[in-house]
Amino acid sequence: MTQSTLALGVEAVGCAAFDAGIKGAFGYPGTPSTEGFEAVELLIHGARDGRVAQWAANEKVAYDLALGLSYTGHRALVTMKHVGLNVAMDAFANSALTGVRGGLVLLVADDPGMHSSQNEQDSRRLAEFAWLPCLEPSTVQECYDFTFRAFELSETLQVPVMLRIVTRLAHCRATLARRATQPPATLGLAPESTIQDWVLIPSNARRRYVDLLDKQPRLMAETTPLNRLVPGTVRRGVALAGMGRAYFGQLLHENPGLSALPRLEIAAYPVDPALEQAFLSQVDEVVVFEEDYPVLEERLGLRGTAAVRGRLDGALPRTGELSPRLLKRALDLEPPTGKAAISLDLPVRAPRFCDGCGHVDAYGAVQQALANVGAPDARVFGDIGCYTLAAQEPMAAIHAVVEMGASISMAVGAALAGQTPAVAVIGDSTFGHSGLPALLTAADAGVNVTVVILDNRVVGMTGQQPSQALDQVERMVRGMGIADDQLQVLLPVPKQHEANVAAMVAALRHPGPSVVVFRRECIQSIRRGVLKEHDREEKARQETACCGAEVRP
Amino acid sequence: MSESRIHGIVLSGVGGQGVLSLAQILLEALRRSGLHALQSEIHGMSQRGGSVHAQVCYSKVPLTSPILDEGGADLLIALEPLEALRYVSMVRMDGHLVVSEEPQMDMAGYPPLDDVYAALKAVRGAHLVDTEDLARRLNHRQAGGMALLGMASRFLPIEDDTWREVIAQRFETKGARVTEKNLEAFEAGRGLIHDPVGA
Repeated sequence: MTQSTLALGVEAVGCAAFDAGIKGAFGYPGTPSTEGFEAVELLIHGARDGRVAQWAANEKVAYDLALGLSYTGHRALVTMKHVGLNVAMDAFANSALTGVRGGLVLLVADDPGMHSSQNEQDSRRLAEFAWLPCLEPSTVQECYDFTFRAFELSETLQVPVMLRIVTRLAHCRATLARRATQPPATLGLAPESTIQDWVLIPSNARRRYVDLLDKQPRLMAETTPLNRLVPGTVRRGVALAGMGRAYFGQLLHENPGLSALPRLEIAAYPVDPALEQAFLSQVDEVVVFEEDYPVLEERLGLRGTAAVRGRLDGALPRTGELSPRLLKRALDLEPPTGKAAISLDLPVRAPRFCDGCGHVDAYGAVQQALANVGAPDARVFGDIGCYTLAAQEPMAAIHAVVEMGASISMAVGAALAGQTPAVAVIGDSTFGHSGLPALLTAADAGVNVTVVILDNRVVGMTGQQPSQALDQVERMVRGMGIADDQLQVLLPVPKQHEANVAAMVAALRHPGPSVVVFRRECIQSIRRGVLKEHDREEKARQETACCGAEVRP
Repeated sequence: MSESRIHGIVLSGVGGQGVLSLAQILLEALRRSGLHALQSEIHGMSQRGGSVHAQVCYSKVPLTSPILDEGGADLLIALEPLEALRYVSMVRMDGHLVVSEEPQMDMAGYPPLDDVYAALKAVRGAHLVDTEDLARRLNHRQAGGMALLGMASRFLPIEDDTWREVIAQRFETKGARVTEKNLEAFEAGRGLIHDPVGA
């Protein structure tokens, strides 16, 4: 039985994981990976057959949840964006040594061109770093089919398998043919005889590392059938991976002459050196089309037998996404000409805060307070979320944005150097993701840092997913060691501006660490009624608790 | 349409105007017409009031590329005039543009409106519509997108019944009245292009 439906590439991965019988899906939101988790979450909630879909506080937690579920013999999917894998890297790299019981597939979505990310790192390098296989689909249907393959591979080889996609594929919507859904099955707990494999004390880890290296030829034998060499009739060839494969495939339809070019089509890593050698023996020159880092390009170039062209020699730009036009240029094909571009100067329409967003009022208070305390050189360390928009002119309210949770630690670092008052601005979900340990250190360091938590009660930027810090921010702050009198909770609305400025001024003047929480629900979340049910239940619970207290003797 | 060429539509507008929603209706209509079709969109922060654009590729042969080359689009559907200007060079020499005249000017440095209209009118194959006026006449605040789709339908290989089915399905959950209003807006737009071949 197959059914045909429309799906995004990233959703196809989620559908496939469900159909392949996973017991659990885990993840942390991040564009362009978010809809992968949401697709499988929707299916799991609809199925009511004991499966679980759980957002995690961060990517490392998500990965460990998946690994624990795999330990019990079930299949698990874990989803994140490329920079999220940095957060999960400890778990990812070490899970290569423990291996898995039930199949474990990591969906990681890279963002070449940095559509909504702070870098364009290439996850294929991280799979290689961890000695793990990586599958790289190029179409929506392949996203689905490769996910099935990845689960099989994971159980055959007993290692986690990475499925790497990029933004263009993640957010490409196309027809998808689904297979029959397999019910979740279990292989049972990892047998007692293998328990030591999971205990990475040095004596076991040394053995497991050797096992992992010994496994590499088998791993290559399993990935090689997904790669292929298509012979041609000329001595100039192309090496293709991911969207390079997709774009070249399209060009072939329009320029049948291109079939004369020998081509190496890569869909899985590690790549068998014998296959590369066979390809190189057919060409004197090769152009490599792959997204992000020149992974294949470097490998092929090292052999020194053919002129290898691509991002390193300027045949393609060193950074940014591939495009059909870039392929045409590199292959000396005539690009089409369209209508003449407009000569009028077209200013960029930058994204901006929604009308009525509480972040705007919060930043207004922060900036006014900094002006009032007379700190012209004050620096505000920002973080990752909608509130990063404040870095733009004319607001220019934050002066550094690096990665999740960096705001607090950087502010403490600056304060330790004497740059006070130092201000950190972080959202509630980012605070739960990796602000907590930073705040623990801030409390310990005891320097004048003011941590502003913009609590909009959801993960706003990625589509108002639930924030695990919901209704708990004050308790979390106190738990990290911030004194009660240095914690203030404010309502960011225009009417409260003066009071909010005064409260911020007090926090800035305090010589030690202080926290100011600006709490107002995300305007989009209110519009969609995301927390309506939660708030109703919470209110009912409080009323019951209250009545209960009254009748108790 | 061509037997081997990839055809394409670019949609543009401002975050919140419904660009992605229109793209999905188009994708479904093309798919039901027996064509291979792909849609590409960029999500994320751009949705917060910034420029948004999507592309729909379709073809008689299987497709693998979700994005079009410059000069590769047969049609541009723009929900905002300045956002139309950004993508003019994406459109083939013989391609068409259907553009809402209704500006979204809440940004820094929006050029004088007369300059924007003049630039658009100078483009061969551009069809402008006063969606604000249309919405008033139809007493339907969000008629603009559907009207543009109606105009676009005159240039696309999709049957009348298919359009009606897809639009009806899209608004199924919102009730018969909403569906009717949207079909009305679609028809109104359709009526604005009289001679698609010579247009």
